[in-house]
Amino acid sequence: MVEIVFLIPFIIGVMAFFLPKEITRLFLVSTGAIHLILSLLLWKNRPEAIFNNYFAVTPEGLLSLLVISLLFFLISIYTVGYLQESDIQTENIFTGFMLLFLSAMTMVTLSVHIMVMWIAIEATTLASAPLILTHRSSASLEATWKYILICSVGIAMALLGSVFITLSMDIGNVDAPLSFSTLTMVAKKLDPMWLKTGFVFILVGYGTKMGLAPMHTWLPDAHSEAPSPVSALLSGVLLNCAYLGIFKTNKIMHAAGLNDFSGTILIVFGLMSILAAATFILKQNEYKRMLAYSSIENMGIIAVGTGIGGIAAFGAVICMIHHSLIKSSLFLSSGNILLGYGDRMIKGTGDMVSRMPKTFVAFFGGFAGISGFPPFGIFIGEMFIIVGAFRAGHYIIAGIFILSLCVIFAGFANHVMKISFGDSDSNKRIRLKEKASMVWPQYILLLTSLILCFFMPDTLYQTIIDAVTAIGGGLK
Amino acid sequence: MIHSVDTILALVLLSILFSYGYSQLFRLIIVVGFQGIVVSIVPFFIGHDMTAGGIVFTIATLLIRGIIIPMSIYIAMKKRAIQSKVAPIIGYQASILCGLGVIVAATYISRQLNIPSISNYTLLFPTAIALPVTGMFLLMTRRNAIAMVLGYIIMENGIYLIGTTISVRALHIVEFGILLDVLAGVMIMATILQTIERTFDDVDTENLRTLKE
Repeated sequence: MVEIVFLIPFIIGVMAFFLPKEITRLFLVSTGAIHLILSLLLWKNRPEAIFNNYFAVTPEGLLSLLVISLLFFLISIYTVGYLQESDIQTENIFTGFMLLFLSAMTMVTLSVHIMVMWIAIEATTLASAPLILTHRSSASLEATWKYILICSVGIAMALLGSVFITLSMDIGNVDAPLSFSTLTMVAKKLDPMWLKTGFVFILVGYGTKMGLAPMHTWLPDAHSEAPSPVSALLSGVLLNCAYLGIFKTNKIMHAAGLNDFSGTILIVFGLMSILAAATFILKQNEYKRMLAYSSIENMGIIAVGTGIGGIAAFGAVICMIHHSLIKSSLFLSSGNILLGYGDRMIKGTGDMVSRMPKTFVAFFGGFAGISGFPPFGIFIGEMFIIVGAFRAGHYIIAGIFILSLCVIFAGFANHVMKISFGDSDSNKRIRLKEKASMVWPQYILLLTSLILCFFMPDTLYQTIIDAVTAIGGGLK
Repeated sequence: MIHSVDTILALVLLSILFSYGYSQLFRLIIVVGFQGIVVSIVPFFIGHDMTAGGIVFTIATLLIRGIIIPMSIYIAMKKRAIQSKVAPIIGYQASILCGLGVIVAATYISRQLNIPSISNYTLLFPTAIALPVTGMFLLMTRRNAIAMVLGYIIMENGIYLIGTTISVRALHIVEFGILLDVLAGVMIMATILQTIERTFDDVDTENLRTLKE
C-alpha cells in the first residue's frame, strides 16, 4: 500500500496541532524515522498502489522520495535541538505543518496523475507557507506573502498547462487516463501545438516553485526568513518536488519527439538562473540569502543538464541528489550561525573556525561540496553536464556555464572566508552550545554525499539510469 | 443562435470590465463572487454531466467559489480595510482601456484557435481567456493586498472555466481536490492578510518592500 507513506505524516501532522509541545517533538522525529523505513520498504518491494490511477512508484519518484525521507529524518533530529534553543511560541503548529509538508512532498513523488501532481505541489506551498511565518517578524511576513502569492500564481499557470495537455489529447483524439505514463506512451498522437503550449506553461509554473530565474524572486526571501530547518527542507527537497513535475512533463515531450523544443527552453531558463545567481551572490551581505542564491544556481544547473540530455541528464540527477544533501546541511549550519552570533549579516559573524569549530567543519565542508570540489558529487554531476554540453556541440552554453560557476565560486568563497576566518567582535558572546544533535545531522548529510561518490549501490545506480533513460539520458 | 450560456457569459464579460474600473474593494468582492457562481454552473449547462454526482459537485463548487471564498476574504478583514481603495499603479481609465483590449484580444484569439468541443458557444472561450488575464492584471497593477488576492481568485476562476469546458476529462474527485487546494490557499492568504493588517495597520503592499536582492 503505497498511500500509507503520505497518509501517516498527514494524520500525525493533524494530531500534532492539538498536542503539547514536548510530545510533538517526539512525534516529529519518530514520524521521520517511520517515514524513512517505509520509503526504504517501498524502494525494496515497489508495490502497487490502491488508487493506481493516481499513485504509483516510479524511478524518479523513488529517488526523490528517498532523498526527502533521509533529509527529513536528519532535519527532524536537528529541529528538536533547534526548538530548544530558539523561542518559537506555537511549537505544536510548527511541528504539525512540518509533518503536513512532509506528507505533501511525499504525495508529489508518488503521484502519476497530471492533476493529482498539481494538487500535491500546491499542497506543498500551502503547508510550507505557515512555516516561513514562524518568527512572525515583519520581514518574515513579507517573505510569506511573496512566497504564497508568487508560488500560487505560478502554480496556477502549471494548472493551465496541465489543462492544455488534456486539450492536446482531445484534439489528437486520444482516449486514455491522464497519467504521465500513459501520456508518455501515446505522446506521438497528442496534438504538438497544445502539447508545446502546455509544456511552456508547466515549465513556467513549476519553474516558479523550483526557483528558476526570472520567477525566482520569492526564493531568497523565503529561504532567509524561514527558520533554518525549514530553509533546509525548502531548498533540499521542495525544489526537487517542483523539478519532478517538469521532469515528468519533459518525459512526455521526449516521447513525442519534441525534446529539442523542451530542451532549448530548459537550457535558456537554466542559464538565466545561473547568471542571476552569479550576479546577486557577489554582493550578498546575508549568509542565508547567499545560500538561497546558490540554490537558484543549482536549480539552473539541473535544468541545463536536463535540457542538454544524454550524459548531462545523468549529471543533472546526480547534481539534484547531492545538492539536496549538501545544501540542507549548509542551511542547518547557517541555523547554528544565526543562533550563535544572533546576526543575519555576514559582517556580524567571523572567526567561526575558533568560535564555533564544530559548525565550522560542517559549514566549510558543505561549501567545498556545493562549489563543486572533488570528491563531492556536485563535481561529478557538473563534469557530466559540461562533457554532455561539449558532446552535443553546445560550446557557447558550456562557456557561459563554466564562467558563471567560476564567478559564483569566487563570490561564495569570499563570503565563506569572511565568516570562517574573518575578524569578529571579540566582545560578542557565542550564544549557542554546539550540541551533538545540532552538528551530527550536517556531518551525516555530508558523509552520505561523500560516500555516494565512491560507492553507489547498484540499485541506486540502476534507478537513476531508469529515470533518465526516459528523457534520453544515460551514461553512453 | 444565441445560447443561454452566452447570455450569462456576456454578464461575466461585463463584470470583468467592471473589475478593471472598481476602486472599492467591497464591489470587487461581489464581482468575484458573481464570477465564481457563473463559472461553477456553466460547465453543468454545457451539458456533459447531468448526473446526481454532477449536480452535487456543481452545488459544492458553487458554494465554495461563489460564496465561501469571497465571504472568507470579506469576513477576515476589518471594515476599514475593506473600505480602503485598491491603490492602482495604473489609473482606472487606463485600466478599463486595458480591459477592453483584453476582451477584444481574447475574442480574436479564441476565433483563431477554434477549439471543436466548444465552438457552439461564442463567448465561452473569450471569457475563459479574459478571466485569468484580468486576474494577472489586478495582481500586477494593484498595490492593495486584498485586491491582489482577489486577482488571484479571478485567475483561478478563469482557469477552472477553461479546464472544465474545453476538456471534459478530469474526474470530479480530482477537480474537487483542486478546489480544496484553492480554498485552502485562499484561507491561508486571508490569514496572512489579517496578519499584514495587524502588523502594519494597513493592507498596502508598499509596506512589504523591505527585502531586496
